[in-house]
Amino acid sequence: MSSLAMRPCGDFRTSYKQDNTIFETKTIRWFTALVIGLACFAPFILDAYYLTLFIQISYLGIAALGLNILVGFTGQISLGHGAFFGFGAFASAWLNTSFNIPVFICIPMAGFLTMAVGMMFGMPAARIKGLYLAIATLAAQFIIEDFFGRAEWFSGGSAGSMANPVELFGFAFDTDESFYYIALFALVFMYIWGCNLMRSRDGRAFVAVRDHYLSAEIMGVKLNKYRLLSFGISSFYAGIGGAMYAHYLGYVSAEGFTIFMSVQFLAMVIIGGLGSIKGTLMGVVFMVLLPEALEGGVGIMKDTSWGNIPMVVDGLAYIKEMAIGLVIILFLIFEPEGLAHRWQQIKNYWKFYPFSY
Amino acid sequence: MHKKLMLTTSIAVMAMGVNSQAVAKDSVFVGHLADMSGPTAFVGKVYADGVRDSLAYINANGGIDGTSLEFETIDYAYKVPQAIASYKKWKSRKKMVAMQGWGTADTEALISFVAKDKVPVYSASYSGHLTDPTGKNPNTKKPAPYNFFYGASYSDSCRGLVQWAADDWKKKGSAGKPKFTHIGANHPYPNAPKAACAEYAEELGFDVQPPVVISMKPGDFKAQCLSLKSSGTNYGYIGNLGGSVLSLVKSCNTVGTEIQFMSNIWGGDKKVFEAAGEGIKDYIFPTMNPFWSDDVPGMKLVREVSKMSDSEGKKERLHHYIRGVCSAFFMKEAMQWAKKNGGITGENIKKGMYARQNWVPEGLDGVCLAANWTPEDHRGVNQVNIYKGNYNGGDVKVERVNQVTLERRIDWLGY
Repeated sequence: MSSLAMRPCGDFRTSYKQDNTIFETKTIRWFTALVIGLACFAPFILDAYYLTLFIQISYLGIAALGLNILVGFTGQISLGHGAFFGFGAFASAWLNTSFNIPVFICIPMAGFLTMAVGMMFGMPAARIKGLYLAIATLAAQFIIEDFFGRAEWFSGGSAGSMANPVELFGFAFDTDESFYYIALFALVFMYIWGCNLMRSRDGRAFVAVRDHYLSAEIMGVKLNKYRLLSFGISSFYAGIGGAMYAHYLGYVSAEGFTIFMSVQFLAMVIIGGLGSIKGTLMGVVFMVLLPEALEGGVGIMKDTSWGNIPMVVDGLAYIKEMAIGLVIILFLIFEPEGLAHRWQQIKNYWKFYPFSY
Repeated sequence: MHKKLMLTTSIAVMAMGVNSQAVAKDSVFVGHLADMSGPTAFVGKVYADGVRDSLAYINANGGIDGTSLEFETIDYAYKVPQAIASYKKWKSRKKMVAMQGWGTADTEALISFVAKDKVPVYSASYSGHLTDPTGKNPNTKKPAPYNFFYGASYSDSCRGLVQWAADDWKKKGSAGKPKFTHIGANHPYPNAPKAACAEYAEELGFDVQPPVVISMKPGDFKAQCLSLKSSGTNYGYIGNLGGSVLSLVKSCNTVGTEIQFMSNIWGGDKKVFEAAGEGIKDYIFPTMNPFWSDDVPGMKLVREVSKMSDSEGKKERLHHYIRGVCSAFFMKEAMQWAKKNGGITGENIKKGMYARQNWVPEGLDGVCLAANWTPEDHRGVNQVNIYKGNYNGGDVKVERVNQVTLERRIDWLGY
């Protein structure tokens, strides 16, 4: 919504095509293409640490976009996104090892399997909303998590399950450098798909359901269908993200796909900006880099002679954890509309400089 | 503006100074992942202190035969993404040769990476499936060739406890089949020994009851205690740790169960007993070390190590701390072997782990149990010390009951 409100004056569209475009101006389009082009050379310059952070941003970003479609665009809520992410991870590993399906086919298949599971757990959305829906999806989190612990045929139980690397024409993408390209491709592909989805009839229906479900229904939007579809698409994204996570690590353990992960996904989309696709990516980048930046700060302290004593290092560890929480709170107070909104304001400031109104 | 400029310059100068320092000397890097602020910090901090103090001690006393040991401790708060990022950072920037890890989360997430990068990992995740480096056992899903841990696996500890329980039952002269129940959350860590232990218990003539699930977080477990009571369980294995164990002991004490608790290695230490209070009565738990107050020759070194972070030497350390010390010293001696046999690389350190039989690190006699690692069997330790804890009205008493030796059965490998 924010992007609509903050459009600069003098921006008049005369056709639907102009209104629907993914990139607002030519410059943005060329710039995006340039960035993606440059990103292709990153493995030649950056070391594995940066690449692994990018890969993390990629798989978490894909999953977070799914949640933003559900929460930001359709106005539903899900507290089970972390479990869906995990389901995608196990499903892809399971399809690959049990049926010998090539991994690059398993990843989309895992997406569809997760979609089915997500729609099943999204069914209450047809009847309930708000806090009640939040609690209903919380059940999904617990049920699926418990399922991971018990279903040895699927998840390997407490031993976990192994996931082979992505292989294409005999080439295994099993290093950071090579997997980076998979991550980059998936990220670009899924985000363009997300943008296009929002420009379509279904995407507009999602927004209508969010903005005023009664009006939407009167206009002929089938509420149940679109709520359920939104859950499906959201889980599809979560499943793809999870599958990439599995094949990157090479091993999936039931540890980690907890309620905490679900909350973290929510935090990402709220910080990034609800209902904004590029905001989602900003939120993910922020949440992935924040602990690393703070860790770096702790690291510099540790390298000094006075800082490298256990008392200081431990104290800093706690401060680091608290700082993450603090930054999130401050964000919600000072920038409740997310990074996407802030970005828009910065852009406007420069656009009208020095005569902003 | 001026101030900002000065600040950035000084930071840059500082960073450069640090860099040039690092390049100048002959050193190897060891990464250390710890959980000091996350959900497992209850014992994670204790263990991490043991590892960290040992690394500092090794470094202060000549390093690895002259090669100094660079290390960095990162508190990853039990979050997998942070663990992976730290690992990649160490691997790509600091040429890490070995890593000291912590729990199930980081260890399992890194299994594939460390195997590919050939970085031996010493962790405190004692899952049985990490002990099969070549995948000899058909049950092993993922061979873990570069994973080591000091101590018996969760499954083996539980088997040792069951073995003790069978003797205990005979000694007491009780009639009939004793009943055995697994108590723990449905989570990889408490679940790790569930099937293996139940199987062995059945073999020894126990009547194995369906497992009782209690949450990993502290809570009111009276309902679960009542079901333990009504099933008439004689021996209960606790798979959880920390606050959850406290709650269980307290709840069962209120309910009045007549159960003999036997916990996993993280579920019993003085801190737990002091906090749990009256419910701790003949509480059985395994350890891989003697206790702080025990008088064995190796404790002298452990006390020296402890002084690295507690210069007055007053702190009383838990047995998890001592396990951390053993883990670090086994690594150190494998590195020494590697240095003599082709240089300190991950691959050579792994070979160094197989170089000795009945191996006890120098100066730690009586502290670390004798270990045997082989290329096909990573069950380093097959002995379990069984201890008994009593609250004793506030004066906590811990005594050794027995030491159980488990056979190295081939069908137990990796399971």
